[in-house]
Amino acid sequence: MIASIARKEFLDAWRDGRFRWAAAVMLLLLGVALLLAWQQVERTRAERAAATAMERENWLNQGEKNSHSAGHYGVYVFKPLPPLAVFDRGIEPFVGSTVFLEAHRQNQAAFLPAQDATAMRRFGELTAATGLQLLAPLLIVLLTFGALAGERERGTLRQVLSLGVRPRDLVLGKALGLGATLALLLLPVAVFGAMALTKLPGGDAGGGWMRLAWMGGAYALYLAAILAVCLAVSAVASTARAALATLLVCWAANAVLAPRLATDLAQRILPTPKLLDFETAMHKAVQEGIDGHNPRNERLQAFARETLKKHGKTRIEELPFNFDGLVMLESERMANEVYDHHFGKLWGRLEAQDRVVTWTGLVAPLLGLRSASMALAGTDFTHHRHFSAAAEQHRRDFVRVLNEDMMNDTAGGHHGGTAGRELWEKLPAFSYNPPPSAHALRAATPGLIVLGLWAAAAWVALLRVVPRLKPH
Amino acid sequence: MTSQLFKLELRLLARERAAWVLLALFAGALGYGILNGSRAAARRHEAATTLIQGSDDFLGQVKQALGQQAIDPKALASRGTVAVLPPAPLPLLATGQSDLSPGHESVVLWRLSASGDTRSELQNPSHLLTGRFDLAFVLVWLFPLVLLALVYDLMAGDRESGTLRLALSQGIRPWSWMARRAFARSLHVLGLAALATLAAGLFGGSDGTGLRLMVALAVVLAYGLFWIALAVAVNAVVRSAASAATSLGAAWVLLVLVAPTLLNATVETLHPTPSRPELVAAGRKASGEAEKRGEELLNSFYRDHPELAPPGQQADFAAQHLTVQSEVSRAVEPVRQKFDEQLAQQQAAVNRWRFVSPAIAMHEALTDLAGAGYWRHRAFREQVNDFKKSVADFYTPKIHLRQALTLADFERLPKFAFREEPPAAWLNRTGTGLAGMFALAGALGAWAAVRLRPAKLGALAG
Repeated sequence: MIASIARKEFLDAWRDGRFRWAAAVMLLLLGVALLLAWQQVERTRAERAAATAMERENWLNQGEKNSHSAGHYGVYVFKPLPPLAVFDRGIEPFVGSTVFLEAHRQNQAAFLPAQDATAMRRFGELTAATGLQLLAPLLIVLLTFGALAGERERGTLRQVLSLGVRPRDLVLGKALGLGATLALLLLPVAVFGAMALTKLPGGDAGGGWMRLAWMGGAYALYLAAILAVCLAVSAVASTARAALATLLVCWAANAVLAPRLATDLAQRILPTPKLLDFETAMHKAVQEGIDGHNPRNERLQAFARETLKKHGKTRIEELPFNFDGLVMLESERMANEVYDHHFGKLWGRLEAQDRVVTWTGLVAPLLGLRSASMALAGTDFTHHRHFSAAAEQHRRDFVRVLNEDMMNDTAGGHHGGTAGRELWEKLPAFSYNPPPSAHALRAATPGLIVLGLWAAAAWVALLRVVPRLKPH
Repeated sequence: MTSQLFKLELRLLARERAAWVLLALFAGALGYGILNGSRAAARRHEAATTLIQGSDDFLGQVKQALGQQAIDPKALASRGTVAVLPPAPLPLLATGQSDLSPGHESVVLWRLSASGDTRSELQNPSHLLTGRFDLAFVLVWLFPLVLLALVYDLMAGDRESGTLRLALSQGIRPWSWMARRAFARSLHVLGLAALATLAAGLFGGSDGTGLRLMVALAVVLAYGLFWIALAVAVNAVVRSAASAATSLGAAWVLLVLVAPTLLNATVETLHPTPSRPELVAAGRKASGEAEKRGEELLNSFYRDHPELAPPGQQADFAAQHLTVQSEVSRAVEPVRQKFDEQLAQQQAAVNRWRFVSPAIAMHEALTDLAGAGYWRHRAFREQVNDFKKSVADFYTPKIHLRQALTLADFERLPKFAFREEPPAAWLNRTGTGLAGMFALAGALGAWAAVRLRPAKLGALAG
């Protein structure tokens, strides 16, 4: 019985002109979004790879200079885009693409792609993810608002129930038929995602297939929850018109209002520090220690005394290495402690804000899905943080090698002598390994839990209202 | 008869509980939007005034120091100046790009060609992605939704229930009946939107922004009028209230959600921005090459400008750095210009195609009027670039000739003061937007009037 009802719903949906139009428009939009995103991701990846190669040449050909001066010359590294950005660009347009690595300072990623775009970007971006997050639920509303309320209005519900069809079977059959319609419609998107992984270089790096599979699961949970909510509303609404009005209000609350309200809530509970305060505090901590009671000069003087004691010497000049190089190493170590503390706090705060938004998803499922989708695509803040940390680690390694060179150069005076290409080649080019799928899954867990709870609650609610289905 | 219909409609609306709930929610959203906008504006205002105050204090100290002794220009040039974009004229109206485009830039002689970090505040990127719940959001996104919820059924429902025949048999002209009905049902929403716009201007606007506020008010009303006209037009053709609701809902989705993102994708594909990473790498390459040729460049500079050559032509580090820097600027200038050109072309395309959706025209007009859009930020960027040139022009000869600064130089020190655009410029842009929205509303209304001619009464009544 369930199968026959499902078949009937499936055919009904495809015969409905309104649905065919809406489905065609949505497929067209998804297709355009995917193709444009593909092109953009390929272009951005090529541009960043070219810049990386050019920058490596710059570094190697910087000529003869003092190694510390090379530390100030620094290196630029560019963030590679993950292949699944084809599907969900996430926060990529709003985070810096470039990090300048130099001696003494940890810099933030600069140059946000959105700064080089018009204000139209602020309307949101046309991606497959936004299509599925915002438009697919509307399509479900269109498919389902009259599924039960409409049959009741027309009087066919009374007829069907009088044939002895159990309300539960009727609703499950409808859900199955409509679910199949939707699945068929969205299949091309999944195929395209798989193509992106196979065709784009480095597609499987970071567990691409695992990510794609979980992403499919997250979207399935979201759409299943919405399907159940819509059928439940259609089951209890007195008329199809009332069901439509209720569902449209819910859609607007979920898709339009919730993201901005949740963001405000997160900002209110956990405010982002001001740039000036952040930089002042960091600068102060570099000078006076994290606790503010340990001035840098005193620490370095104590360090000099300890070094002399360790080597059994009384004067700096007697040490078998360039002491200035060792001081550089030590002050980098001290500054790094400060950076770890302050950047750790800032990034922790931003992640906590994002978690507040995700858990607000218990009220509006879109928020759970958005967070899970970005995490799995590799375009959320945790991935950006992973990249920033990797870039910072590279900075520390490269500054350390330069300072060690200076330390071992006892002939060149205060800041050592000059170094050349031989030393520059010793410093490997920055190559970034994206985090494994386990990282993405960990970041996506709150969102997936929210979606799981929504799907479970929506289906339980549907099955609970069904036995009370009234024929009139 | 017609005024009675108007009053009847108002009375009917007054008895709909759902309508009151909707109006209360809308009023709440408007209030929240203004409150949110004012918080963000206060933060930006505080940041800008602190920076401006800091600059003024520093200039005061410089004047005092110059009164006592001459100063090495290198010392003053190293300190630099912060160029600050003053708070926007109507900041509560729209946040626009002001949370993204930098509102200040530090201009230091030694780093004029460097492309540094371009952000002026710490922001959670997910928050930038989501956007702010400001007045512009309520007016562009929610205002039409609320309007449509109240006016989606102007005639379709009567046609369905058969009361339309009865009504038309009273000798009412259908178009004027529907127009009055639409007006009566949307009166409160339009009033609330207009009041909120006025409140945003009166409580958060700078002095002398009356004209901007009046244009903003007209833009808001024109946008509302467009959606009402659309509802009238849809009602003139559809057969049932449910169809009217779905058609208008679909129109909202297409015009507010889809069209802007499609336009954005199109302009970015047609005029792609050059690669920022490549610009950075190219700049580094140019500076590496120029640095290697530093001495040679300086010598050739002195050949071209013998008047600036110091006695004995001893190149000091600062002079060499400046020559290298101007060479780097010269080398990367074409790439940098390409950025501005492409962005200008993207913006020109947005301007040309903004009438694809009145939501785009409305958003552009509101951010422009607020002073938080592309144009004011572009003016700031251009003025900062000019300022950089004047900083270079002022200090370079003095550093080459090793001339000290004296009190007489104080008045000639380059100082940054942002010049607002003349009103004609923004009036021209927003006026076009406004006229376009009125024209779209007028066209829809005229089309509906033709469909609702008394001669077609029979077909209308169904």
